[in-house]
Amino acid sequence: MRKNHQGTVIKNIEIKKDIYELKIKSDMKEAFAGQFISVLCPNKTLRRPFSISNFNNGEITVLYKLKGEGTKYISSLKTGDVIDFLGALGNTFSYENTNSALLIGAGIGIAPMLFLKKEMNEKGIKNFLISGFKTNEEALLGSDKTVIGGSVMDNIDEIIEKTKPDTIYSCGPSIVLKLVCKKAEEKGLKAQVALEKVMACGIGVCRGCVIELKDGSNASVCKDGPVFEGEVIQWN
Amino acid sequence: MELRVNLNGFELKNPIMTASGTYGYADEYEVFTDVSNIGAIVTKAISINPKKGNQGERIFETTSGMINRIGLENLGIKEFIEKKLPILKEKNINFVMNLAGSSFEDYVEAAKIAQKEGIKAIEVNVSCPNVKEGCLEFGVDPSSLSKLISAIREVYLGFLIVKLTPNVSDIESLALSCEKAGANAISAINTLKGLGVKIEILPNGEIKKTSVQGGLSGRCIKPVALSMVKRIYSVVKIPIIGIGGISCLEDVLEFFSVGAEAVQIGTENFTNPAITGQIIQDLEKLLLKLNLKSIDELKRKLRE
Repeated sequence: MRKNHQGTVIKNIEIKKDIYELKIKSDMKEAFAGQFISVLCPNKTLRRPFSISNFNNGEITVLYKLKGEGTKYISSLKTGDVIDFLGALGNTFSYENTNSALLIGAGIGIAPMLFLKKEMNEKGIKNFLISGFKTNEEALLGSDKTVIGGSVMDNIDEIIEKTKPDTIYSCGPSIVLKLVCKKAEEKGLKAQVALEKVMACGIGVCRGCVIELKDGSNASVCKDGPVFEGEVIQWN
Repeated sequence: MELRVNLNGFELKNPIMTASGTYGYADEYEVFTDVSNIGAIVTKAISINPKKGNQGERIFETTSGMINRIGLENLGIKEFIEKKLPILKEKNINFVMNLAGSSFEDYVEAAKIAQKEGIKAIEVNVSCPNVKEGCLEFGVDPSSLSKLISAIREVYLGFLIVKLTPNVSDIESLALSCEKAGANAISAINTLKGLGVKIEILPNGEIKKTSVQGGLSGRCIKPVALSMVKRIYSVVKIPIIGIGGISCLEDVLEFFSVGAEAVQIGTENFTNPAITGQIIQDLEKLLLKLNLKSIDELKRKLRE
């Protein structure tokens, strides 16, 4: 199955301050929560990776935040424009043994959490999604609880007590993911977190985006990840 | 029409190769393009023992390029032979094994294994520091380079390519010492030493600084590579494989025109993982258009 695609932009609008929703029509056959696509940005050497926030019959949704030249280019794409991307890349969240899940999305990290929530709802897995944003202007919808200004970890003990998860899933800045993993360990819960790193190849060969695991080995975020069990990560 | 090129005994079905470190061990790229169509792939650098590579940030994007400090992370020669070699053979992928070492003994040991395994071609990465002798890179001093290549030549009878570093002042004498020591071809260039610095002024006025010191590659290095290939071509008779910032057919023609017999595509594989197949197609179309029978004829025309 080929992983390079030429999709067509069917929607690309600013839904919140500096946050865009991009919808692409493509021939991509399947995608699951946790996976990402890697978009070619003309005149940039490196493609830009984005978590998939929804997938339906070849139609891919991505939520992205304006950051630099790459996202600036993507934001300029109009309906009908061709978009060159690789995907679906990376591994997926797993929930075969999950009965109750707590999902935590910090900032734009909500994107894969929305996809995971949808998958879990379809599978009938109990879940509760907390998201957190710096300001109301950038707060995205779709969560069971939205924190504005504070931290997604505020009142986390109470929420765990109330929702009784067996696994916590999270995506966001590594500082948040580290706290999530620590909290899961403290409460005796499992954790799966989706990491972000600057990537070159996107398929695990260049070894540019590796992290160190507790067993001393290296794992690439693009191929072995982006989703890792909290307990295997060696946080620095 | 003939896309085939013969590099002094090493046959390629076309002159388009992939550069070490940008194409894994080839099978990983099958999700993007028909890998067996490529002239030859050069494997990720392989060392005697597995290498974990560098800690910390490893890549940094620059204007028209990137800097890497991967640190030659690789699975080691034993695992390469057990796990990757059978795949390359089974899929009929023409390949060159890239060797890296930190001492003369490492290189010679690896070359012996390559000989024993019947590997047709090796490319020696001489941009590694000689850890036992002051950490100077093997590829910056003609006498140490000559000693290294002669030692490898003694134990390895296949096609021997030396990949030169551009971080030197006198590339001509280094190329000549490789030729004299018995190398069958020279590939040039490896990455240029570079430093990427990023300064971000945060909303609260704090300054965040990121910097990555490593090897610069990508489209921005092409003029340096062209100049190096031209200089090497002026002094040696063995074939030169041009590397550095190639992203399209026009770039390939530029390298042919200054003396390269074949080329390697590197960083562009990250930008466009199907680039090799596209360039091979474009090359074929060009020969048809110009009514030329072979790549050799095209090269002659470009060098007139």
